[in-house]
Amino acid sequence: MALAEATKKLYNKLTWTWNPGSDKEAGDAIVKNVMLHWFPNKISKASLAWNYSFYLGTISFVLFMILTLTGVVLMFLYVPSVERAYASVKDLEYVISFGWLLRGVHRIAAHLMVAVVFLHMVRVFLTGAYKNGSAVGANRPLNWIIGLVLLVMTLLLSFTGYLLPWDQLAFWAITVGTNIASAAPLVGDWIHFLLLGGNSIDQGALIRFYVLHVFFLPVVVLLLFSWHMWRVRKDGGLAVVDHEVLDQKAEKVEPVKSKTYSLLGITNGTTVHVQNTMVDEEKNSVPSIPNLTRRIWLVTVATFVVTVILTMLFRAPLETPANPSVTPNPAKAPWYFLWLQEIVTDTTINLGFITINGALIGGILLPGLLLGLAVWWPYRDKSSNNSVGVWFADERRRQNMVFLGIVLLILVFTVIGTYLRGPYWNFYWPWEAWPEMPVKF
Amino acid sequence: MKLFGKTKSIPQPTNGAKEDESRRSFMHKLGLGGMIAGLAGFGFQSFRSLIPNVLFEPPMKFKIGTPASIAEGMTFLEDKRLYIFKEGKSFYAISGSCTHLGCTVKYTKLNAPKQVEIDGEKKNIPFEFHCPCHGSKFYADGTNYAGPAPAPLHWYKLEVSPDDGQLVVNMNNEVEQNFRLTV
Repeated sequence: MALAEATKKLYNKLTWTWNPGSDKEAGDAIVKNVMLHWFPNKISKASLAWNYSFYLGTISFVLFMILTLTGVVLMFLYVPSVERAYASVKDLEYVISFGWLLRGVHRIAAHLMVAVVFLHMVRVFLTGAYKNGSAVGANRPLNWIIGLVLLVMTLLLSFTGYLLPWDQLAFWAITVGTNIASAAPLVGDWIHFLLLGGNSIDQGALIRFYVLHVFFLPVVVLLLFSWHMWRVRKDGGLAVVDHEVLDQKAEKVEPVKSKTYSLLGITNGTTVHVQNTMVDEEKNSVPSIPNLTRRIWLVTVATFVVTVILTMLFRAPLETPANPSVTPNPAKAPWYFLWLQEIVTDTTINLGFITINGALIGGILLPGLLLGLAVWWPYRDKSSNNSVGVWFADERRRQNMVFLGIVLLILVFTVIGTYLRGPYWNFYWPWEAWPEMPVKF
Repeated sequence: MKLFGKTKSIPQPTNGAKEDESRRSFMHKLGLGGMIAGLAGFGFQSFRSLIPNVLFEPPMKFKIGTPASIAEGMTFLEDKRLYIFKEGKSFYAISGSCTHLGCTVKYTKLNAPKQVEIDGEKKNIPFEFHCPCHGSKFYADGTNYAGPAPAPLHWYKLEVSPDDGQLVVNMNNEVEQNFRLTV
């Protein structure tokens, strides 16, 4: 009896924060549970809405966690050596119990993460969520830039990941990727040498990309992610909240009594709660537990289920072992780099006296320019507070059109690269048959 | 006992205080500077260790057999990604690495030789090189004419080894397109 009692007591002690009995307990739970400490005590209904954020950031993080968990197990099974890498991936696929599932989930989650992080960026742009609202100390443009770096990190993680199997795709991806780096003026050859740890693609290159993939880049992502989340809180929550504050000010309601000190004690400045009285207001907000935690749980489960189902439907390919003498024909990058492959094909320019390699223009200058434009944009955007946190605000119509135009161009190039390019990167309609190519001449 | 942080509160002669302050500030800067220098040195040596001093790579200068052992026409050296051509008694070598992004170009025999003009000179071209990655095309002499490749394929120097008469390719030594080694 006493044992059962004690067990129940212990169970309650461990779980009460996840299932609070009252709003007061829900507030205490945020303070007492490190996992829930990330969340605010109360959260506005608007920022919980599915059709505002689509939870794309949450999904990105869930995918990152899936990638970390499967990745750690894969580290026990994969051997980063030129002689054994291919065989160890083949073993994963055909010998090790559930190895195919592990590798498949890792691969699908990586593909999804690229797509979801990109969509997250599109969402933030179209809702004007990189703009500062009324919260004091907000610096949303900075968080937008952190997000851009996270997008680049996601792409680098994918790039360093898909060359680990050391098959044909891997080998020619490194060849093209590192040669793009060497097209950079002045330092290009040096960077190429440093990336490969020599002049040829061999063990030195594999181990470098492996360490970047399993340690360096994930750690950078984790640090940037923490900063990203912390900034969301510092900036007064999702941008849609700022829009609600404007609505509230228009209503001219009596300001509610609100505490003017933060939980952390007396510090310089004021907290966002002082400016945004509605944050604590009953009709606009609800306790984070269970309203936010329940939704995040749902998103987590859904993301996991979708990933596993997609893994069942699309088995991970493994090409023939890396062969430096035979380039596959056509040699295609993964879909998210095909727009770049299409661009480096089309941008070699002959100025008469000098020919500029498309690798420099399409591989370095153009993507760099796009990134620079994205960094600069929030500082150029002079639209009013009314278009913060609103989908397709009228004021920002022209900006959204330009942005969507660029996104559309990237998509068009991706589609051309994926479906309309055949052997020798020639143009073929989807219904045209490709000529038969000898595998080896 | 005098604690480090408490020394300020101890009464000091007024003219000595300023001196003390600047000494303290100097020691502070010295400590900070030492720490930064140490970290920078540590960072540098870590980074420097990643730049190899010795490379265990296949040599760029290598033998490929006696002139008689090489077949007439084209021979492709797979692991070197190098095309060797033999026309009677003359030899030349063209790189198989595309000048755009380094994929291996494919030797493509034309059904009928075509006549093209390269640098104002009319030439009969019996074959071409095509790149599978981004569709660059090169004439038989390596001249680029289509696709994103910015430069012609590299030609490398051939020599005869004095010791055993084998042909030697030197991939560190680029030569002009009119280079021929006649044996």
